[in-house]
Amino acid sequence: MTLDTFVIQLTNGLVFSLLLFLIAAGLSLIFGLMDVVNLSHGAFYLLGAYVGLSITRWTGSFWLALLFSPLLVAVIGLVVERFLLRQLYRRGHLDQVLCTFGVGLILADVMRSVWGSYVESVAIPAPLDGQIVIGGLPFPVYRLAVIVFGLLIALGLWLLIERTLVGAMIRAGVNDAQMASALGINIPRLFALVFAGGTALAALGGVAASPILNIYQGLDSEILILALVVVVIGGLGTLQGAFWASLIVGMADVFGKALLPEFSVFVTYAIMAGVLLVRPQGLFRREQTRLA
Amino acid sequence: MTNDDYSSALTRRRFLRAVLAGSALVGAGALLNSCGAPSAGTSAPATANTTPLKIGLLVPSSDIYAVLGASITQGMQIAFAQVGNEAGGRPIEIISEDEGTKPDLALQKARKLVEQDQVALVAGVVSSGVANALRDYFHDGQKLLVLANAGANALARKAKSPYIFRASFSNWQSNWQMGTWAAANIGKRAMLSAPDYAAGKEMLSAFRNSFEAAGGEVVQVQLTPFPNIGDPAPFMAQIRDAAADFVYAFYSGAASVAFVKAYSDFGLAQTVPLAGVGFLVEQDVLPQLASAALNIRSALHWAAPLDNPENKAFTTAYQKLTNQQPNVFAVQGYDAARLIIEGVNAVQGDVSQQDILLKALGAATFASPRGPFKLDPNTNNPINPCYVREVRQAGSAYTNVVIAMLEAAGDPGDDSKDTPVA
Repeated sequence: MTLDTFVIQLTNGLVFSLLLFLIAAGLSLIFGLMDVVNLSHGAFYLLGAYVGLSITRWTGSFWLALLFSPLLVAVIGLVVERFLLRQLYRRGHLDQVLCTFGVGLILADVMRSVWGSYVESVAIPAPLDGQIVIGGLPFPVYRLAVIVFGLLIALGLWLLIERTLVGAMIRAGVNDAQMASALGINIPRLFALVFAGGTALAALGGVAASPILNIYQGLDSEILILALVVVVIGGLGTLQGAFWASLIVGMADVFGKALLPEFSVFVTYAIMAGVLLVRPQGLFRREQTRLA
Repeated sequence: MTNDDYSSALTRRRFLRAVLAGSALVGAGALLNSCGAPSAGTSAPATANTTPLKIGLLVPSSDIYAVLGASITQGMQIAFAQVGNEAGGRPIEIISEDEGTKPDLALQKARKLVEQDQVALVAGVVSSGVANALRDYFHDGQKLLVLANAGANALARKAKSPYIFRASFSNWQSNWQMGTWAAANIGKRAMLSAPDYAAGKEMLSAFRNSFEAAGGEVVQVQLTPFPNIGDPAPFMAQIRDAAADFVYAFYSGAASVAFVKAYSDFGLAQTVPLAGVGFLVEQDVLPQLASAALNIRSALHWAAPLDNPENKAFTTAYQKLTNQQPNVFAVQGYDAARLIIEGVNAVQGDVSQQDILLKALGAATFASPRGPFKLDPNTNNPINPCYVREVRQAGSAYTNVVIAMLEAAGDPGDDSKDTPVA
């Protein structure tokens, strides 16, 4: 691999890593506060992508899609939280997993009947549809924008959690929901907010990734698996963990494909298996007591 | 337990009573027929068999091949509608099952169609993996299977069967003709790219063998993850590094959209021309690829703008039925149904005359949207025309314009012309 090629693949790795972070952050956030493994995350991603596609077609603007698709999908997330998940918080993980998995299947069928089975693609929006030469290869500007966008979202989420009142409430809820509730924090409302936020992040990832990964039936389960791998490696429920794990998985995917194409699928799972063996709680999970 | 025994006794008694009443009403012969006994054919020849002819349709209705399954089904519907949904004097009844993607589950569905629904034959099958899994069941059981897609070479070679007919293609076809043509018309140094599974390797092998025989050189073979290619960006840098005259690729469906779009996004389309087998830019993905597919040359046994009366009639009928442009999979479904109609007509609806039926199926010829349709008696695989198409813009739409017509060929029938690619 020449230096040029290395630089290109490194950039590819950054693009895919930050795409992964966008995809996995919501899953991580929901688990962190709510202790719910949301197996409908991939379906919300795909729903966001499809809604974004329709908005782009109606309005002609990808940017409106990027703004409004997450909002619309968050409303659906709110409904799912209020009428389904809320009944299950007192039950075990298995019930929640079955419920969210079922929601994912229902959403998949709805999406099939609304948007059909053809592969859809979204054109790269102006003014990001050009190329910049990196390492002698014209590199799509949109992909570079994904790096910047992903970093901005990461920074924004970090500020939200660490520096705002809502973030303080969320952190309190994560550490001890009962105590936080006793202190007057409205835990049900906080849960609803976080679930809606998590689904909005999934939808945001869906819209942002659609010019690169396209949109098709079945993408939901691919995305769910990727997101699960990221949060398992990073440690369920830590945002920093999700960020660094995205970098590891993204780089492993790109350099696996470039150097060992026959084993590229295996590389990612090998890393996950290794992490599970050595640090089953994930690489970045803070030790904490959980009362749930 | 006693409840169960009681209820089952009741149903048995009720069943017997119904059978008795039925036989009293319609006579023993008709009863035998309605139970689907295969050889009730001893009845008087004057009364033709007008019971529905059951055809099992096994195509995917879910998962990544759903579009292919729907296209094949719609193509068949058009062919059956053209003959008033009747073949050999019997109304046609379609019983559908979801092929899915898992060979063992698909085999269960096929068994259900044959054993429970008592279908006269099974048609469809998109996946080669599924076709391979069905092969022994149909061959050993001497049941009829008409393939509308699955291209595994083996089904025309060591796994061929007198009970299995293919109305589509073998993976060898088109690729082999394209190898010779590409060496003369595109370039001498090629990089090959396909998903890392049996069909991908078979297609690239066929291309490589004739390409090298015509003086071409393969600089690199790129095999990518199957079924999900994910982000194809890492492969684009490899293509740049290989510095070939052109890239020859096989991708289909979602993988095709990912690959061809990335190829264009990374500016490779301007420097290294992309060519491939026709599925790469077939009508099911072409509207999504749009300008990214411009100038891609590909070989296939059909092209949307083919100028023959059957293709025009088929295109009109397909647009009327679906509001969409037909694709090669719809044509294959149409031809599979045409083949079935020819066979059933030859035995005047009496599918129990299997020898005559098999012979008629093998000898069937008709004008298809792809051109003249004819099976190779040695392989039960069609002798396909081969069109080189180039993606051009026509108004706001994109289309595969035919720029060359290569020699028609059937599958060679054995592996002697094929050395594995990787």
